[in-house]
Amino acid sequence: MKVLITGAAGGLGRALAVECALRGYDLFLTDVNEGGLLSIKRGLLRRFPVKVMIKSCDLTSERETGELFQFADRNGWTFDMLMNVAGIDFEGGFLERSSYNILKIVRLNIEATLSVTHKALARRNGSSKRFYLVFVSSLASMYPMPLKAVYAASKRFLLSLAYALGQELKSRNVSVLALCPGGLPTTPDALAGIQAQGFWGKLTTNRLETVARRTIEKALRGRRVYIPGVVNALLSFFGRLIPETAVAKFLYGRWSKAQKLRFREQAGGAC
Amino acid sequence: MKTAVVTGASSGIGYAVCEALIKRDYFVIGVGRNEQKCLAARNEIIENHPGAQIDFITADLLSQREVLRSAKEILKILDRTSDGALYALINNAGCVRGCYTTTEEGYEQQFALNHLAGFLLTHELFPNLVKGKGRILFTSSNSHKMTKMNWSDLMFQKRYNPLFAYKQSKLCNLLTVYWLNAKYGASGIRAYGIDPGLVRTDIGNKDAGVLIDLFWSLRKAKGADPSVPAAAYLKLLESAPPLGELYHGCDKPHRYSREVNEKNAGRLFELSERLCGITGGWGI
Ligand SMILES: NC(=O)c1ccc[n+]([C@@H]2O[C@H](COP(=O)([O-])OP(=O)(O)OC[C@H]3O[C@@H](n4cnc5c(N)ncnc54)[C@H](OP(=O)(O)O)[C@@H]3O)[C@@H](O)[C@H]2O)c1
Repeated sequence: MKVLITGAAGGLGRALAVECALRGYDLFLTDVNEGGLLSIKRGLLRRFPVKVMIKSCDLTSERETGELFQFADRNGWTFDMLMNVAGIDFEGGFLERSSYNILKIVRLNIEATLSVTHKALARRNGSSKRFYLVFVSSLASMYPMPLKAVYAASKRFLLSLAYALGQELKSRNVSVLALCPGGLPTTPDALAGIQAQGFWGKLTTNRLETVARRTIEKALRGRRVYIPGVVNALLSFFGRLIPETAVAKFLYGRWSKAQKLRFREQAGGAC
Repeated sequence: MKTAVVTGASSGIGYAVCEALIKRDYFVIGVGRNEQKCLAARNEIIENHPGAQIDFITADLLSQREVLRSAKEILKILDRTSDGALYALINNAGCVRGCYTTTEEGYEQQFALNHLAGFLLTHELFPNLVKGKGRILFTSSNSHKMTKMNWSDLMFQKRYNPLFAYKQSKLCNLLTVYWLNAKYGASGIRAYGIDPGLVRTDIGNKDAGVLIDLFWSLRKAKGADPSVPAAAYLKLLESAPPLGELYHGCDKPHRYSREVNEKNAGRLFELSERLCGITGGWGI
């Protein structure tokens, strides 16, 4: 199995890469952070007998993304699995963020993901070999989220895309999984964010090692969505029953409190 | 003047050890992860001990790149000040994590910081320690007992258990001490593990998770002041007590757990060399 992972130097990307290597999959890893790629490559090769190739790339640049795939082509990679992990969010409300940053969320979370996915699928050249496509969406995709509006909408885009493509590409032997995790304790920043949400943060946080393992298991089994954790599954279920305006109102209350707390303290951590 | 390197020197036990060393006229090189905290620690020590010889290096020892960079900076200082000789390396930086988190290399963080960082730094400074007939101290813990090496899943990737990952990392310290003495004792170095006991520091309140944060806030209140274990470090540097025991305060040392044996030590040493990318031996 040959796997392409974007955002591979980040917390979730790294954990997925380790999990793939544990299963003996060869890895092609990309990220903007070149130093991080070198480190994860080193770490993987010291532990597992797999092939690892890295190439740093700013996926929001169509030119660089093109070069990334040409590089993979030249080195003889044909992929069996693509994990779209690269994604960003910027803290703060809509008007508090620059329009540049807001558009960057769309450029990376949506445009870049589409570009990478299209290029990877086009390279199958009509092959009928099974292909596994994974989109990292989020629990945030389940609701309209004031104060995280653009991020949540970009994640909903991916969820909707995954459902639709899953159906459309079924006949071509492509299975599509959307992963919708709650909080993941990856970076100090993520930890601080979870801490600021207090009780809710604790409740919706998922175990990184479990999410990484199950994501691959679910993808292999051809599942469509993976919402880790019972609480998150329930939240997403009820989120669909309650009118969106009511959900938005509730979440606004919760997030404005969390963000105030966060910006006041700017420290500490949580799992 | 003897030179000592102390990691995790910006707070807690490491800071107290720096102070104890300064009082005995050591030249101290402290390592911490946060520039501001390092600067504040340095200023405080100089203020309390006028004339203190202390340098600080900022490095995030979770990352091996940073361990190697800090080693290079230490080597530069040693070349300038002591003709390369190092008398003491105190591997003390440590963390507690409530959930599975990984480093740049994809290694589990407690294993990476509490064990691998000290292992790699020891390797990088080993020729200097040999030259200084030096001591290598690891802040281990009596909590290394009642656990085994989880060889089939060292980084607890299957299901993370924070307590066992911590205990195992402290067992790794003693296995390293065991192997260093067994294999390289003839070169004149001596390695010791220390159990600081329960100490009033903030270790469980830093990125450890809500539950551990709460638990530790209650527990640490019963702990000793960091200056108490600091005395034990000094004793190990100034006298030459027998090897193979876990030193604790000024009392009788604890015994190692039975897991600290040649088989485990050899296996861990070889694996750690691989995980740190050490291929060229120990330079002696
Ligand atoms: N406290 C106890 O009861 C107890 C008992 C047994 C063993 N220990 C061991 O004692 C050692 C010291 O712990 P402590 O209690 O003194 O806790 P502490 O006050 O939190 O000290 C830990 C030190 O390590 C530093 N550090 C943390 N992460 C680092 C990183 N990534 N890179 C470089 N430095 C880093 C910290 O820097 P910051 O100042 O920036 O946080 C701090 O200087 C640890 O190895 C611990 O396992 C403690």
